[in-house]
Amino acid sequence: MEKVKKKIGSFSFWNWVIASIIFRLILIYFPKNLNLSSRPEVSTPLTSFRRLAEGYWLKQSSMSSYAGSMYHGSPLLLSLLGPLTVKRIEGQPNHLLYSLVSVIADVVSAMLIRATGQNLRLAYLRSLESLDLVKQIDVSEFLCSGDIAALIYLCNPFTIVACVGLSTSPIENMAVILCLYGACSRLIPLAAFGWVIATHLSLYPAILIIPVIFLLGCGPDSPPRKLFLQRHQQKEVLNQSKLPPGFSWRPIIHFAFWAFLWSVYVLVLCGISLKQFGGLWEMFKSTYGFILTVEDLSPNIGVLWYFFAEVFEFFRNFFLIVFHVNILFMILPLAIRLRHRPCYLAFVYVAICSMLKSYPSVGDSALYLGLLGWFVNELADMQFSLFLFCGYVGVSLLSPVMHNLWIWRGTGNANFYFTTAMVYACLQIVLVVEGVSAMLNHDRKLRILITGKPQDAKS
Amino acid sequence: MAETKEKSLSDEKPKPRVRPIVRLGIFLISHSFHVSVVCCTAGVLALFLLPVLAKNTYISENALMPGSASPMLSNQHVSDGNRLVKDLTNPNSKSSETGIESHKIIAQYMLDLGAEVSFHKFHPQMNQFHPLHFFSSPDSGKIQENYSCSSYGINTVGIIRAPRGDGKEAIVLVTPYNALKSGFGEALSLGIAYSVFSLLTQVTWLAKDIIWLVADSQYGEYAAVAAWLREYQTPKFSSLSAPNAEMCPDVNNLFELKGHSISGSKFSNSFRRAGTMAAALVLKVRDQNEQFEDTISIYAEASNGQMPNLDLINVVNYLAVHRQGLRVNVEKLWSLLNSSWLKSLGEIFESLAKVAKSLYPKWKFGIPATEYVEGTATLASSLYYQALGVPTGPHGAFRDYQVDAITLEISPKFSLDKVWRNDILLRGGRLIEGVIRSVNNLLEKFHQSFFLYLLTSPSKFVSVGVYMIAFALLIAPLPMVAASLYVDANSSSKRSKGDSSTPSAITDTDEHSIAIRSWSPTTSFMIWVLLSILSLLTLNSVLASPLACAKATQEKEWALVKSVTISSVFIGLGLMSVINFATAEIGALLMVPMCLLAQPLKLDVRAGTLRSFCRMICNLVLGHIAFPPAAFFLLKGMLDGFGNANVGDFWMWVESLWAWNSATYLFIGMVQLPCWVLCISILFHTC
Repeated sequence: MEKVKKKIGSFSFWNWVIASIIFRLILIYFPKNLNLSSRPEVSTPLTSFRRLAEGYWLKQSSMSSYAGSMYHGSPLLLSLLGPLTVKRIEGQPNHLLYSLVSVIADVVSAMLIRATGQNLRLAYLRSLESLDLVKQIDVSEFLCSGDIAALIYLCNPFTIVACVGLSTSPIENMAVILCLYGACSRLIPLAAFGWVIATHLSLYPAILIIPVIFLLGCGPDSPPRKLFLQRHQQKEVLNQSKLPPGFSWRPIIHFAFWAFLWSVYVLVLCGISLKQFGGLWEMFKSTYGFILTVEDLSPNIGVLWYFFAEVFEFFRNFFLIVFHVNILFMILPLAIRLRHRPCYLAFVYVAICSMLKSYPSVGDSALYLGLLGWFVNELADMQFSLFLFCGYVGVSLLSPVMHNLWIWRGTGNANFYFTTAMVYACLQIVLVVEGVSAMLNHDRKLRILITGKPQDAKS
Repeated sequence: MAETKEKSLSDEKPKPRVRPIVRLGIFLISHSFHVSVVCCTAGVLALFLLPVLAKNTYISENALMPGSASPMLSNQHVSDGNRLVKDLTNPNSKSSETGIESHKIIAQYMLDLGAEVSFHKFHPQMNQFHPLHFFSSPDSGKIQENYSCSSYGINTVGIIRAPRGDGKEAIVLVTPYNALKSGFGEALSLGIAYSVFSLLTQVTWLAKDIIWLVADSQYGEYAAVAAWLREYQTPKFSSLSAPNAEMCPDVNNLFELKGHSISGSKFSNSFRRAGTMAAALVLKVRDQNEQFEDTISIYAEASNGQMPNLDLINVVNYLAVHRQGLRVNVEKLWSLLNSSWLKSLGEIFESLAKVAKSLYPKWKFGIPATEYVEGTATLASSLYYQALGVPTGPHGAFRDYQVDAITLEISPKFSLDKVWRNDILLRGGRLIEGVIRSVNNLLEKFHQSFFLYLLTSPSKFVSVGVYMIAFALLIAPLPMVAASLYVDANSSSKRSKGDSSTPSAITDTDEHSIAIRSWSPTTSFMIWVLLSILSLLTLNSVLASPLACAKATQEKEWALVKSVTISSVFIGLGLMSVINFATAEIGALLMVPMCLLAQPLKLDVRAGTLRSFCRMICNLVLGHIAFPPAAFFLLKGMLDGFGNANVGDFWMWVESLWAWNSATYLFIGMVQLPCWVLCISILFHTC
């Protein structure tokens, strides 16, 4: 019975993957009706396809690709993807090659998510075994979290829209997932490469260095180390082999070395391509500077554009610092509390970044919703799941309508659209808060199973 | 709404320390039955209270200053207009088959005033369905291949350049005119427009250009105006589409003639433009009239229930009533005027208001019963026309380009003597002049007053903040009931979260799958019903059968289906209330009671109490009423009598919605029908 179930599961997994790819291809062949690449939810100043094409055009006519404040991405993307923006095949949709690249990026990310999820599931089962909890928790009930996460990532309408809308976020997401995959399967050069590229492309993944260090230092997600010690104290035998390994510095030094190597490599490449146009300083100013100073105030699904459109000029710098430090403030407490679950920590960081980012798009939500799929077993009794689901559906439908009411019909105003942006931010906050508390509750449940008595809720 | 939803949704067992907001949510969910009864009654009651709560209109934009200047239109201009009317009604002018002669006459008259004149040729466009039209910008990209020289229309456009303006803004005056079979009314409307036009060529205060569009209405008034606007706003740069009309010899002939007769004048072959449009007025004169005084009807509803800025209606209403002594009308549902239950409801409200006033003299909210009935009739028609999503006149084309426009239809008391005609020309002309003068004063586009409102009389309105309360009360119980059902079903059996919403995706596919043209509406409607039932049953047997195997999950399955139905209804209605409020309100009235009451009939039969019997009857009745065709027949029968209700009518009605790109069509196909199917499947659930 079990085997049959599993067989059906894997069979339908590949079916779903193929179906989602076909669905993308269908959408790519009818791009005119949707006009997704000009929607503010899909293309931000950083990920817009039109800006990429403009940057490539400037580069081809031997000007600085950052001239005119149109392009704000990496020069490497220009060299890699730029040629695809102008290449046309007769009788095919205009940007077929570029769209195929994003489809491939999506599929690769999904496969990496699947591999990582399987990794995480194995680690979880192993730790349950070493805690002798296999009997209490029905392991056969466990879902294949890797498959589920991959399918969530592939079939999520947000991912599909970002892929068909020709934004560069599938590639940025792939870099982030590559980094996490490398760290989980202890491929240190790969992890370093993913981290460097992700940071280079969109800056915010830089904070993923903390979960990556935890991952490399003490391995993938497991219950707190304290529980293992308690368990073994109960049994009065301290079996060292069953304890999870302690923190080891060797892989981290390796990681630092490789990260340094890759970043030097990337910077040298960028420097070569920007030699005549102001060099690296110009690049930092118009990519990282553009992200950090929130220069472009065109509406998007985030909350910063409205705020900085309203704020007085002389408070601007202060609030810029406040908003960016907001992200940094959350890093340390979360890292301390969730240090035994580095992958979950990475999910929380990604979610927080996509909420407080200066130019968020649905592609970022697609990433953290996909990562959420890794923890279906742990988060099985999360609260408000129906509310969150309905909220996401409602907001993603309401937001284009409000935008239309404001821009095209003229009967609404900016507040209408901003309302949906605020509701969206609230939903993300509820998701993160409930997710973290559900994970802590899960750890608490494990401890109760071990010690056999509920403790006070101090920890 | 989101807040209440957030409050209401918390599927958590009570713990020792629960946040107050969560406690409130738990309280609401556990009493969801009482809450929903109270909310729904309050919602319906609030809807009937709307005419009482309506406020008097006021002119919000100070710059408009209507009626501050005395009208300058004199008898001289009126006699000019009269001359044009005479020329147009002269039988000689109708000799030509295409009616080009009368266009030439109009153009000649415009030229004589010193205006720039051009002809705009257009082909009537077939209606195409753009389901997401309201999501995107108005587009020019609809290029048709099969033009034929036999079917084209000619709009005559005259433009006066403002002496004080910079040519960046314009006011549009539209008079629909069918040269082939024009009635006297159309000629008269041209006469009024001409007299105003001749005045405006002389005045010095003009700051915005005036465009006078004589729209060729032989293919419909809307089509002509829409074609001209499309050309005006989104010029085509491709070389392919331009020469289509020029290839027809007849049109070229027209231009050549013109070129010969008036050389060096302001006539031009090319399309002429002025600035961005500040406002547009469509002027019509009705041929027959049964009323005893001169009235003027205002039509304002554009596509998808969009309304022009309330200030425009205010200005027209103020000038017509207080300056020209015309009676102003807005559409009413006449059959509601005689209904006795509405009258008694109005009397109840009136007496309540009297009691309240006797208690505290400052409470003055009551209105007389007759006024209440009239207000309700107007409100009902306002709701109906907004809900249809079909524009009520050529002004609808302007709203797609964010231009505020209304149609004014003057219906004079009918007599044929010259004095009367001059009187109508003078008063109508002065009204138009006053409105144009007010709009001319505007510094910005209309933005001060409301865009989202319902009219209860020409001088009373209900704003969005008031009517949304009724709607919000009506749909507030939905999330609570959904949450409580979800919690109940979840706590009893955690595993039954199967995909219970299989039928929801189905109904809209078969809606589109049928493109029957040649059959009569009745047959096509029947075929549609049969095909949908067939496809639903097959899909149900294919997809839903795996769920039936586990007996344990069956018991609570209907609760989950109901929870999913209610949440999707809530999302659908909330979304629709933003796109088109009136549709959402009517849809909510139909669907909310049905969704809330739905329960398997078997359970009720088994229970056998009086309460369950009542619920069963209610369910059956609501299940019939909420089916869109049935609801349509019922409404039509109530309004026009059941004698002439026909099965094919619904098909025709839906086809007209389709042809006008109405969002209501999408709503019926994607929210109402699927949810109705889900509710019916709950009713007949085998548990």
